[in-house]
Amino acid sequence: MLEKMKEIISEQLSVDADTITENSNFKDDLAADSLDLFELVMALEDEYSVEIPAEDLQNLLTVGEVMNYLKEKGVE
Amino acid sequence: MKTRITELLGVEYPIIQGGMAWVAEHHLAAAVSEAGGLGLIGGANAPGEVVRDEIRKARKLTDKPFGVNVMLMSPYADDVAKVIVEEGIQVVTTGAGNPEKYMDIWKAAGVKVIPVVASVALARRMERHGADAVVAEGCESGGHIGEQTTMTLVPQVADAVEIPVIAAGGIGDGRGIAAAFMLGAEAVQIGTRFVVSKEAVVHENYKQRIIKAKDIDSAVTGRSHGHPIRCLRNEMTREYVKMEAEGKSFEELEYMTLGALRRAVQEGDVAKGTVMAGQIAGLISKEQTCKEMVEEMMEQAKTLMKWE
Repeated sequence: MLEKMKEIISEQLSVDADTITENSNFKDDLAADSLDLFELVMALEDEYSVEIPAEDLQNLLTVGEVMNYLKEKGVE
Repeated sequence: MKTRITELLGVEYPIIQGGMAWVAEHHLAAAVSEAGGLGLIGGANAPGEVVRDEIRKARKLTDKPFGVNVMLMSPYADDVAKVIVEEGIQVVTTGAGNPEKYMDIWKAAGVKVIPVVASVALARRMERHGADAVVAEGCESGGHIGEQTTMTLVPQVADAVEIPVIAAGGIGDGRGIAAAFMLGAEAVQIGTRFVVSKEAVVHENYKQRIIKAKDIDSAVTGRSHGHPIRCLRNEMTREYVKMEAEGKSFEELEYMTLGALRRAVQEGDVAKGTVMAGQIAGLISKEQTCKEMVEEMMEQAKTLMKWE
């Protein structure tokens, strides 16, 4: 899943995929602002056919947290 | 002139008023609605009861529909969201964030929800969550802004969503309305021009500053900390931009602008206050009633667009 995540994040945020790790913080490490995060979350919703409500979104600060969240939602 | 927006809102003209903090109070909202557009009361940072009072005062001035703009970063946003339902308001626009958490209570009460968006992704997300329309606001507008221009944002949003799009940012006359429709909008949101309307209860200095503004008088503060705000340049913006260049902290900069919008709008301190206005301020040259403004703009747009 990390590889796929890296690919999506790299494409949506225009960052080098090799710099993305599970510990990357979207705001601090990947310089994503709120509009970037919406871009990303829409891409994730489309890719994994899940719904990520805004109240959950504010707790997802790192790549790893998003991966855990998606796994809890049943994404393989 | 009928579009999906005029039908949705039950208004004569496809013009809605911006929900400007300290400006969009009940006199202005009622006057824009009476003129055939959709007036809006700006919730800004006001508590729910203040907004309730404004709604009731506007009702005394007009029987026509008007809406409320909810500023989502306000500490009172939850309160204001409830007041809207209790007072039977039919249209809400939202700014400064994502209104998803209020969508259920508003939709259940039959409130039309129109979020202001600054990107395609946010527009798509709002549509997915049941928004009735979106305001695509370019960075020509006054106050808190995104990065895209109206010219580029509106057609992209119009292509990305099925719901109708209202264009905002840089529109101040019938040519602007016509241009917005060419880009795919079905209505426009107008802020700055209504600030100088006879009915707007703001300090005369603020109105005169907008009327005298030239094309190049627009400035953006706060880009360095990710909260850009467009206003007219003055002593405050010069000092602010200088401090930004010196790398001053967000807190220091915020402290300087604390209450600065109120100082400009209500006390008339246009030198040190935040004179919020869009880039179109340079085009705006006289005080008129809202009715005169709306009719003049619509007449011009109709001629250009060959509307019946």
